[in-house]
Parts: sequence; structure tokens; C-alpha cells
Amino acid sequence: MKRKINIFSELYGVYYRTVAKILDKSEIAESDIYSAVSEEAFADSALFIPQKLTSDWGLLKPCGEKKYESALKHKPVSVVTELQRRWLKAQLADPKFRLFLDEQVCEKLEEKLENVKPLYNSTIFRSADVFADGDPFTDESYIKNFRAVLNAISSKEVLDIEFMSGRNERKRGHFLPLKLEYSRKNDKFRVYCAAYRERHWSNGLINVGRIISAVSTSHKADCGMDMEEYFSERRCSEPVTVKVTTERNGVERFMMEFAAYEKYTERDLETGVCTVKLWYDKSDETELLIRLLSFGPIIEIKSPQSFRRLAAERVRRQHELLNEKQE
Amino acid sequence: MAGFSELIKSFDKTRDYVRDFFIYGCKVRNDFQSKSSRTYDDEKRRVESWLGDYIHTDNSQRGKKVCISVDSGHISENPLYKAYQSKSFTDNDIKLHFLLIDILAEGEQLSLKELVNRLDEDYGELFEEQTVRNKLKEYADEGVFIKEKQGKTDYFSLSPDTAEGLLAEYNGLDSALKFASEAGLFGVVGNSLLKAAGLKNDIILNKHNYIVHTLEDEIMLDIVNAIEERRYISFESFGKNREGKPLEFSGVPFRILSSMQTGRRYLAMYNPEYRRFNSVRLDSIKSVEQGEVCDSYDELLALYIKNEQKCFGVSFGNRNDLGYVEPIKLTIYADEKTEDYIVNRLEREKRCGTVEHVSENTFVFTADVFDPNEIMQWAKSFIGRIISVEGGTEEIRSKFYNDIERMNRMYCDEKED
Repeated sequence: MKRKINIFSELYGVYYRTVAKILDKSEIAESDIYSAVSEEAFADSALFIPQKLTSDWGLLKPCGEKKYESALKHKPVSVVTELQRRWLKAQLADPKFRLFLDEQVCEKLEEKLENVKPLYNSTIFRSADVFADGDPFTDESYIKNFRAVLNAISSKEVLDIEFMSGRNERKRGHFLPLKLEYSRKNDKFRVYCAAYRERHWSNGLINVGRIISAVSTSHKADCGMDMEEYFSERRCSEPVTVKVTTERNGVERFMMEFAAYEKYTERDLETGVCTVKLWYDKSDETELLIRLLSFGPIIEIKSPQSFRRLAAERVRRQHELLNEKQE
Repeated sequence: MAGFSELIKSFDKTRDYVRDFFIYGCKVRNDFQSKSSRTYDDEKRRVESWLGDYIHTDNSQRGKKVCISVDSGHISENPLYKAYQSKSFTDNDIKLHFLLIDILAEGEQLSLKELVNRLDEDYGELFEEQTVRNKLKEYADEGVFIKEKQGKTDYFSLSPDTAEGLLAEYNGLDSALKFASEAGLFGVVGNSLLKAAGLKNDIILNKHNYIVHTLEDEIMLDIVNAIEERRYISFESFGKNREGKPLEFSGVPFRILSSMQTGRRYLAMYNPEYRRFNSVRLDSIKSVEQGEVCDSYDELLALYIKNEQKCFGVSFGNRNDLGYVEPIKLTIYADEKTEDYIVNRLEREKRCGTVEHVSENTFVFTADVFDPNEIMQWAKSFIGRIISVEGGTEEIRSKFYNDIERMNRMYCDEKED
């Protein structure tokens, strides 16, 4: 019988990992066992792991008041499994993965995994609606800019970035890159950054593919914002409220398509109609509007009035266009 | 509490629950009528434990169910990976895992008998040979141990690669893993490497992130293997027939298709019974069995590739139902001087269609596809600019015109207060 490859295995489980963390110390206090369980494992794991370790599993032995010693002679190690090697090999065929590694590192890793069969061949997968103008991941200047941004994120270094804006204007400024964002639909990377303007930090977002040059300023900085604060500044001031009906399997389709959004849903248990509040990044307003309109009359944008008016304006224009045609 | 375990034996049992809780959030006990209330309560408790802060539900409003979920574009780690970290095991499994690795940690190469003796002598643990033999075989298959035959005896040693070692040796691999574990295929595997090394993604965010897709990774891997080995597959669906039995299908698999717009993924396959290609939603497949090698795989694949070029999305349609289908033609208005972003949108989103500049400010998108219905949701994203819809079928055109009428009444017939 053919051997099945297991993704769902206790080898990768929370329990084994938590136990490895506990056994990493030759001696451990009871309170540290509970801390490790609460940091690593599930909400109810404290009811199971500490007690099992000293009884049925016999991996901890008491050695004083509320203290335990490991039954192991060495620190536990996490061996890289065949599944993980095969997955790594498959990643090496992806130019996006290679963006993060120098060519020599890629070659060394390829050499190491020479006899490993990739977990999958990427030609098996096809995204029907990925945009055709994705980033040039193998272009030398793109790679250079990408790595400058990546290094700046880890070193918290301000970059002097020159780029083309969405309106095709050449712009330049000092930016502290904070996070990279990848979109599978757009097949593009963007960088969330703090822009330094007139002696204070503000929010910035740059498409890596639009960067002309990214040069280190050797200046390290802290913009003083955590990511939650940063994103809340980018968030819409009021969520869009949408009524979703069950027509044409609307609720299932809508919930699936908007699964990635932060939302608050109320479902009428009698009619099945859902009222959904959606929060979005202000820079994505147009994308959200056209996605909502693409659902046609099975959903209705209820509020805010300013957003509803944007929809109404497009619908009115559309209605007029079709009537003009008929006349 | 009695009898509840955080860990689960089989993944498919819990998969549809997790999906429903995550996608709908607001599903209530009565929506899961086919399951016992005990099962519902246990599964709900597990999902809440895994998803932690990401989903909250309450019944505070009479006749309504309320739920809140979090923007998956702004999270550092897919919370549903936790579902894969919940496999149950026996007491012997965990003891042997840590003790055998501990014995072999100094680089020795030992036989089954030697290992059984060491378990007894060094740790005071008595195991039957068969139990240890099974674990050694399993770990040799998983690549944790290296098995080498010397004479008639198998000797086992520990594989030298550790997650920490790999990340220390290859500069930049940590960042690459952070990316691929969230944005790559089978990211859950990369996440297991990161976790093993005690790392967490802190650099990459994922836009258009359908975290629920990971729930299909296990069955998708079976399908991928069948495709690579050119085998038939048979599978069981979550759906039931009239007698209440699970629906079963079989066929020749070719591709995994996905739509970043709708968030759905599909298996594209050839159905020998109906002698046609079709796509099946991955989230509807409960389990997959690999069958015999398909002798005519190459010919069918060539035919598939030809057919795929006529799919706008994932549907191979059914021309018998639709009757004769003309190529569909959308005429779109865009101001050439100020609205080049619309022309760019048409170009980058046209897929197998073509875009022509036919007159001043007028562009025509044409596509000859199996299922023109698939074009219409995309077409509606151009609402406000569509001059005409031609071709396709009468039904498709009428539905579009009716939809615009209904939307006009919905949004534009309002009386000012």
C-alpha cells in the first residue's frame, strides 16, 4: 500500500512542542511548566499536559517542592522531517521565496536538497483570476529594492526611497519600512512604512514594483507606533453596512468572498438575511466598492450614506448608459 | 468536562465544523442538525480554543445570531494552523518520541534490540519490541531517523538536520519561511518549521488572505500526489444523497484551480462516466483515495489543457444546458485621457478574453468561454461603464439588464427626506 504523507501528525503538534519546551531545562519549577503550557498550547491544555508529564508519560520526575527534573539526558531537538524537506524543495522553485535569499544561499540549499523530491510541482496549481501585471520577481533591480526594504524592516533603518506613485508621479522621501504585504490576487508586494515628513511620522504605503531606488540612510529610527495603532490610522472611520440576502446562494458566496475582512455579522434566524458591517483600509475603498457592486442586487449597501452614494452614482450612470443604448 | 479532549484523531471530522464556524461564524446549533449536540458542543469548544480571540459569538439579540471576526490581512499567523497541531496520540507515542530521540542524540547507530535494552536500562521503560519496531519504521518513513541495513539487521540513527540548525546555516531562510508559511502553498508545513525553531512571522502580511484554505491542505496533498503519479482518484463528498449516504465520485485529476476573487478552490478533473471535464469544490471533498494509474493520462491532459483555455474562471460549463453559446462581448466606456486605469484593469483582468480599442473612449472585451455566466460577476465590477452586453445567451443578458433595473430601484429611487 502506498504510504500517505502526513501533514496532520502529532510530530507537528502543540503538545509535542510544548513538552519539548518544558524538557529543554533539566530542572523546572511547577509554575514554569504552567507558563510554558499557557504560552505554547491551547486554552484547555493546562488541564492535561502538566499532570500527564509526571504520570502516564513519565517524562518529568519530582525533585523537590514543586520542582521537577527531566527524564531526558539531552535537550530535545526538532528534527527536520521528510515532509518539511520536500516542502522546502518546492519553495525553492518559487521566485518569490528566492527574493529572501542570496543566490549563493539558494545554491547551497539546492545542493543540500539535491536528492529530495519536491512536495508539489507548481504547474499543477492555477489561479484563474490573478492579475496579469504581477511584480517582476526575477528582475535585478526589483530584487535589489526588495532586499533593501527587507533589510530595513529588520534593522529598523530609514530608507531614502524614490518611487512612482499610483498617479504616475515621481516621488521621493524618507521612509521607515515596517511590514511587507503580499497579495496573491495582485501578485505584488507592497511595503507599509512610516513616512518622515516635516518632523513627524505619518502613514505610507508603497508598491515594491514602483520603487525606482531604495538607499540606506544609515539612520535607525522608531516611529513610535505599534502595528495596531498604525493600521487603525489606515482604517475607515465608519464600517460599510451591507444587507446580504439568500438569493443565488448570496450569503455563502458573500461570506466566502469577504472572509478576509474584519466584520460583524447579524443573521436573522427566520429569514436567513445577514446584516454585515465590514471594516476596510481607506486606500482599498474603490476595490471594496466594485467588489460589492459585482454582487448585483442580491446585496444592498445600506450605510454610510457617503459610500452608498458612491454605489448609487455608478448604478445611475450604468442605468443611463443602457437606456441611451436602447434609445 | 468528562470525555472532552482538545486533541482529535481524524482531521476530516472536524474540518467542516471549523470551516462553517469560520466562514459563517453565525451558525447555531440547529444548523448542524445531522450532528449530535454533544459533538456540536465539543467541536465548538475546540474551534473557540484554536481561534481564540479571532471569533466571538453571542445570542444577545432575540432571534439573531451575532458574530465578529478579524481582518485576516493584518494577522501574522494563520490561526487555523492550530487545527493541524491537534492530532491525538497515545502515551507510548510521546514517550517513545522523546526517549528514542534522546538515546540517539549522541550520534550512535543502534539496532531495535539495542534500543529496547537502552529504554529499559537508561530510563526504566519496558516496551515490547513490536511497539518500538513500529515507531522506528514510522520515524524512518517520516525522515526523523535514518535506517541502514548492516547484514540482516537494521540500524537507526538520528537525522542530523534540525530546524534551528537549518535556519542558522542558511542566511535569510528565516524570512523566506515567514513569507512562505503564510503566503505559500501548504504554508502549514513551513509554519511547523518556524514553530520548531521557536520563530514567529513578524515581517509579512497577506492581502486577500483566505486562511480557511489551509483546511483543505491534507486532501489537496493526496490529490497532488495522484496528479504527479497520474492516477485515478475516488473521493467522498460532505454532501449526502437521498438515502443520507455520502456522495462518492471518481475521475482523473489534473489541476487545482483557485479564484482569488471568490475565495474558492476547485479540483479540475475528467469524469469518465459523463466523458467530460468538471470542477469540484475542494471544500466539498471529505476524503480522497488514490486509485490505479490512468493509461490514457497524457492524451486526457492534452485535451484538458486545450479545454482550460476556454474557462474564464473554473467552470467547464455545460453547453448542453446552455444551448448554442456565442462569444460574449462587453463594450466598456473609459475616458482615454483621464481613465487609463480602467484600460489597465481590462488588460490585467481579461484572462482568456481580448480587449480592443474600437473607437474614442470605447473598448470591447470579447471572450469565447464554456460558461459565460462566470464573466458576469466580473462584468458587474465595471458598473457605470458598461455600454452593452452582447452574445452569451439570452438568459445571461436578461439577467444582467434585470439586475441593473433592480439596482437602480434599490439605490436611485430614493426620495429625499
